Amino acid sequence: MPRFTAGSYPVALPLVAVAALALSACSGGTSASGSSAGKTLVVDTSFNLKTADPGREFEPTGQIVDKALYETLLSFKGSDVTKPVPGLASSYEHSADGKTLTLHLRAGAKFADGSAVTADDVVFSLNRVIALKGNPSFLLDGVTVTKTDASTVTLTSKKANPALPFILPNPALGILSAKTVQAHGGSATSTDGAEKYLNTASAGSGPYTLTSFNTNTQVVLTKNPKYTGSDKPTYDKIVLRNVQAPTQKLNVQRGDSQIALDLTSDQVSGLGGGLKVDSGASSDVIFLLLNRNTKVSSTTANAKFAEAVRKGIDYKSLLSLAGTGSVQPAGIIPSTFLGALPASEATGRDLAGAKAALQASGIAKPSVTLGYASDLTVDGLSLQTLAERVQAQLKEVGITVTLAPAPTTTELDNYRNGKEQLGLWYWGPDYPDPSDYLTFLPGNLVGLRAGWKAGADPTLTALGDKAATTIGDDTRKTLYEQIQTKMNTDGPFIPLMQPSRNTVSAASVTGVAYNPVWTIDVAALGTK
Amino acid sequence: MSPRWAPSKGTGGKGAGVEGGEGAGSGDGDRLVTARPLPGRRRLLARHPLARFLLRRTATAILLALGVTLVTFVLTNLVPGDPAAANLGQRAIGDPAIVAQFRHHYGLDKPLPVQYVTYLGNLLHGDLGESQQSHQSVLTDLSTAVPATLELAGAAIVVSLIVGVAFGVVAALHRDRLTDQLLRVISLLGVSVPTFWLALLAFYIFFYRLGWAPGSGRLDPGMTAPPHVTGLYTVDAALAGQWPVFWSAVGHLALPALVLTAYTVGLLTRFTRSAVLEVLNQDYVRAARAKGLPARTVLFQYVLRAALVPVITVAGLAFGALLSGTVLVESIFAWPGLGAYAYRSATTLDLPAVMGVGLVVGLVYLTVNLAVDVLYGVIDPRVRVQ
Repeated sequence: MPRFTAGSYPVALPLVAVAALALSACSGGTSASGSSAGKTLVVDTSFNLKTADPGREFEPTGQIVDKALYETLLSFKGSDVTKPVPGLASSYEHSADGKTLTLHLRAGAKFADGSAVTADDVVFSLNRVIALKGNPSFLLDGVTVTKTDASTVTLTSKKANPALPFILPNPALGILSAKTVQAHGGSATSTDGAEKYLNTASAGSGPYTLTSFNTNTQVVLTKNPKYTGSDKPTYDKIVLRNVQAPTQKLNVQRGDSQIALDLTSDQVSGLGGGLKVDSGASSDVIFLLLNRNTKVSSTTANAKFAEAVRKGIDYKSLLSLAGTGSVQPAGIIPSTFLGALPASEATGRDLAGAKAALQASGIAKPSVTLGYASDLTVDGLSLQTLAERVQAQLKEVGITVTLAPAPTTTELDNYRNGKEQLGLWYWGPDYPDPSDYLTFLPGNLVGLRAGWKAGADPTLTALGDKAATTIGDDTRKTLYEQIQTKMNTDGPFIPLMQPSRNTVSAASVTGVAYNPVWTIDVAALGTK
Repeated sequence: MSPRWAPSKGTGGKGAGVEGGEGAGSGDGDRLVTARPLPGRRRLLARHPLARFLLRRTATAILLALGVTLVTFVLTNLVPGDPAAANLGQRAIGDPAIVAQFRHHYGLDKPLPVQYVTYLGNLLHGDLGESQQSHQSVLTDLSTAVPATLELAGAAIVVSLIVGVAFGVVAALHRDRLTDQLLRVISLLGVSVPTFWLALLAFYIFFYRLGWAPGSGRLDPGMTAPPHVTGLYTVDAALAGQWPVFWSAVGHLALPALVLTAYTVGLLTRFTRSAVLEVLNQDYVRAARAKGLPARTVLFQYVLRAALVPVITVAGLAFGALLSGTVLVESIFAWPGLGAYAYRSATTLDLPAVMGVGLVVGLVYLTVNLAVDVLYGVIDPRVRVQ
């Protein structure tokens, strides 16, 4: 049978079409680099974002966005979270009993629409956060907000609340224009309906205003020309894009973006190309939990067994997984916070001591199950990798660890209901104050997840109660150190590490500073 | 070309391929009409088997869509996990009042059958519920995610069809020669190479190394999306006359779409090649050639037409797979499509969003299958609706 010849048919046509498509890509590439120049700053991050409404947001990306859109009464400067600085409040006084915080508003502060920021706006905004019963509501638990006069607001707590000045800088407590919010269905009640509006426009006095908002793609912020704060923003427009880490790296290297927030230590090593890398320890503390509830496991509830695990872990080896910048916290409080134990008190590996403790526990051939979220990464470090390393290390002690990986959504249930024998989790600070970590004590939120019931350790409970209500940094520091020292010997938690976190920026960007509350303040960024 | 060929009126090869096809359908209709006058609507259906077919398939599709909602609902609720725990913060979950409010807001405090019936009731009003992740209606979310994927998958399938069919025909016509061997290797590579790896490689080479392709996303940084009409940025930008946006959208679309074509081109090349080879040996092709018809006429009107039926089947399935399974490519190119939305919804137990995605994917498959079935009839009269 004779063959047909391809030459007589227009098969070249589709190839021309493909070539045309490819060619159009080239033209697109040119325009991309052109538009990112000038006063536009592109920040790539892997979105964890649900809303731009300050009363409802409490996700890392939401914090970046709201930090730029709304001013808070107090703030932090750069990375330093040990000292609150003026925000919308130019000064404050904390009463000796720690129950009353009086804040004096900055004169001349204006919202982006030009209207003045008043004490009524502050009362409305903070009461709204409380009333919405959303993720950030707990920040103002037991706090009453009242207007003293046109420029003074008083926050009264039921119990002494020394942490309040450290809580107020949280972007979730940003101040909104009551008039604007109310005009769009908002109220300081649970029936508030302003979220939809606040996801299309902002109602704050921050250095930027909201231009567009999408929880899956990007958020665009435009400079607020009426910003009354002291440090005016440099960039006219900020584009915050939802991009996964491997693509972030290529984007920032190519100049398609100027900042990448989620690169791991491996990814930043040898970056070059004039890029700047700001590395350091994250404020997230990864810890091991040993359940004290004998119904869950009589093995993990055994104090000597817990000691064997504590001494059997090779902490330095774990740090090598997280790379440069990661540190081992000596206690459950992150190394950069007030009350953190000095690094010299960190537990080290003592294999002989671990084996002796295991023998003293009276448990022959112990076998326990380690629950963790296998799909969870903390600052780029996979818990799966960490769990495998812990399993191998404890095997050297004589402890058989059976890994029980599960999706986060499933394992969270086990963790929050105190069903795990051994658990591998992390705690990210809600606010940069050691009182946030009292939740690990017996009978408290995380303590209960480890089966550590109220009354299990009266000494620790008493120390915790005292620390929660004591005013004065020095006394508080001493109390929190005592708490952690005792927890390190008697508690069910073993702090493993604070992984490294890296901020990569173009050489032209200045002022990059990691902040544990809002990651990065885009308004503080400058250009060379 | 006449849409209805009767063997008695046919000429040579054409008639050979359509024997008994159309005649039966129209004959039934004629008999019904002559036996007893029918009411207008039934008469219409009897005279238009395609309309009858579409009506029947639409009714089936509704039932299947209902089944999809039920299966998705049951499966998502069987997952051991608490949506409240997955969506509330580490502090908020410890406050029973906040947890209760969350459950009440999303209707999770009601028994499961009530939740399902409520969902169906809302669905009838076009309400797919509110996403726990984006805090907006699932319909709004899908109205941006679906067109994003549709644009990507649409571009990929169009290019795949053109290139895949062309490659397949060329390979078949050059059977066992160098061109054929080369195209078979290319198609084998296309179906074998993992798409996510190819996406990473393509992004690295064409964006990072060569700078030919733009960066991630659907538009250049800072560029505003065109006014929403279809949700397809290329179309919307063209409609609005925003040509810089149009070119940016085309540029951003090109690389991920070409990456997605690799697998589909490989698949279509292989199927087209074998289908064309099979048809080339048919008597009616030989007869057409013996009559002295030009090679071009024989190829396009006899060979390709008959060979396209299996190709359309594969293309339909591939299109469905592209629409619902591009999550990795979307992730690498930061393409905010259905795959990325589905992944995020599933990992956060965002039930309304998962239901919405399930429904859309189900409908996509139903629609694509229906379109493929209709295309069978258009392309090949032998399989027309009877």
